[in-house]
Amino acid sequence: MSRQPRASGYFRTGYAQDLKLVQTRAERASLALLGAVLLAFPFLASPFLLDLANQVFLASIGALALMLLTGYAGQISLGHAGLMAAGAFTVGILFRETQAPFWITLPAAAAVGAVLGVVFGLPSLRLRGLYLAVSTLALHFLVVYLGGEYEAKRGFSTGILIDPPVLAGMAITSGHAWYGILGTAAVATLLLCLNLLRSGTGRAWAAVRANETVAAALGIGVAGHKLLAFVISSALTALAGALFAYHRGFVSVEAFSLFLSIQYVAMIIIGGMGSLLGAILGAVFVTLFPYGIEVALRALPGAQRYAGTLFAVNYAAFGFVMILFLVLEPLGLVGIWRRVQTYFLLWPFKHRPLAGRRR
Amino acid sequence: MAELEVDNLSLRFGGLTVLDGVSFAVEAAELFALIGPNGAGKTSAFNCMSRIYPGTGRIRFRGRDISHLSPRAVARLGIARTFQHVELFAHMSVLDNIMTGRHPRLSTNPLQQMLFLPAVRREEVRHREAVERIIEFVELEGVRHAHAGALPFGIQKIVGLARALALEPRLLLLDEPSAGLTRDERDDLARFILRIKHELKLPIVWIEHDMQMVADLADRIHVLNNGRTLATGSPMQVLNNPEVVAAYLGVRPTGATG
Repeated sequence: MSRQPRASGYFRTGYAQDLKLVQTRAERASLALLGAVLLAFPFLASPFLLDLANQVFLASIGALALMLLTGYAGQISLGHAGLMAAGAFTVGILFRETQAPFWITLPAAAAVGAVLGVVFGLPSLRLRGLYLAVSTLALHFLVVYLGGEYEAKRGFSTGILIDPPVLAGMAITSGHAWYGILGTAAVATLLLCLNLLRSGTGRAWAAVRANETVAAALGIGVAGHKLLAFVISSALTALAGALFAYHRGFVSVEAFSLFLSIQYVAMIIIGGMGSLLGAILGAVFVTLFPYGIEVALRALPGAQRYAGTLFAVNYAAFGFVMILFLVLEPLGLVGIWRRVQTYFLLWPFKHRPLAGRRR
Repeated sequence: MAELEVDNLSLRFGGLTVLDGVSFAVEAAELFALIGPNGAGKTSAFNCMSRIYPGTGRIRFRGRDISHLSPRAVARLGIARTFQHVELFAHMSVLDNIMTGRHPRLSTNPLQQMLFLPAVRREEVRHREAVERIIEFVELEGVRHAHAGALPFGIQKIVGLARALALEPRLLLLDEPSAGLTRDERDDLARFILRIKHELKLPIVWIEHDMQMVADLADRIHVLNNGRTLATGSPMQVLNNPEVVAAYLGVRPTGATG
């Protein structure tokens, strides 16, 4: 991974130092600050804000998984909601049928996701772009259909209730406990993605995305790496779905509509394609956006009159913001962030980055 | 035994015959130039050798038949190539481009890489050291962190050469490395090619249009025209062959005055 310009005065003396994720003292300091804020947050925030944070963590895992697949390996998928549903239903079905604890259901969900990843990924060996997207869409409907059939046949037509997971004899129900679990899961996912991207797999994905023929001529297994991207991304997504099921204590197909897939695609576009930071920023933005709209509408005079249209306004505003990003800031939130960073780094000099440059 | 033997190689796209019974052999540490007018089938021959195109006939590398292998398997045997239009990964740094060329030499699996185990760290450092040696060899120290796509074309060509060398190849296929280069860059390139030949003792198949360079550097020349072999031999023999001159430069119709 190439890097942003840095303030001068930092010199490395060995190649191993180049591999470190956190290099300068300033980076360490800002990371420590971020860590402290994240640790302090649950003690200061209201239950509502805590729940929002938990939603953001869940969305981050899903967005990171999709970013690996689309932003790095270059494979388009509209089956993200289907994979989340697969993870959630694995938990729901295993819990309902066998009372399995979370340390069985979570690995099972990841395994189901990995297998589905192969199935979702097989079309990618022949199809590209829009055609691949449509084929993954077909699989989304298949998974959701099977989930719906299970609900109907077993008499859970309103959804499957799941007991909270039990860790060390204690049922995890509080927002604080969930904050810890989901936060840890999101950070672990981020580290996992960073590790893959700074080693051979990440370079092979980038090569396959750029030019499959050249990648093959360099000795990279093109089909294998495409499938690997689908498998890893799908396993992570199914895990996110499984955590989502436990967090809500309830699984139902209605939660996994096509709109959810689109929201995840929106996260990686709004956040900034080809950047893990972008995936997280996108997850934050898309998760908080509807609440932001609600707050804004409430602040308008005569709020009661708009209450009924809130849902419609939300959709429309979401679409409008998507268009704004695609037209005005194709590099996404991460592009804005880097511009701000570069501005302060180079101050008082000015630097206009070349159009379309990205890392 | 020759390092590379191409025997009766033919390639057809529908009714179009691109290569028609081409045969040649490249010896150890030999700089073997493949020349011919545009559309003669030089790059197609390369694509057959790296198994991107499905030619008929037999291609042997160190005695082993590679005609039925995948492009990936051919690369893993140690046949590296550059491309006429460079084909670098534009959004990656020069360093990562060259590191990608070492992909077949990696031995850790994605599971280990996910956790960035000490084995992965050691491997990354080891390959980085190898890549740095190549960067030094082709004098790219100044641009190692630059985006490949942002570099001038001449430097990109050298990066392409470095990426091929990163495989630690046993045979190098160079597709028009000098096209689009300035005079100075051509001098550098000639130097690199000679160093590869003499220091790394690599056999090189070299597609080239710069006749001066070919005449100066190549050990042997093979001329293609319309998919057929026109001549083969030492530079002096080939470049003075009237048929080659006719195919390449064209001849004045007899009796015409200028």
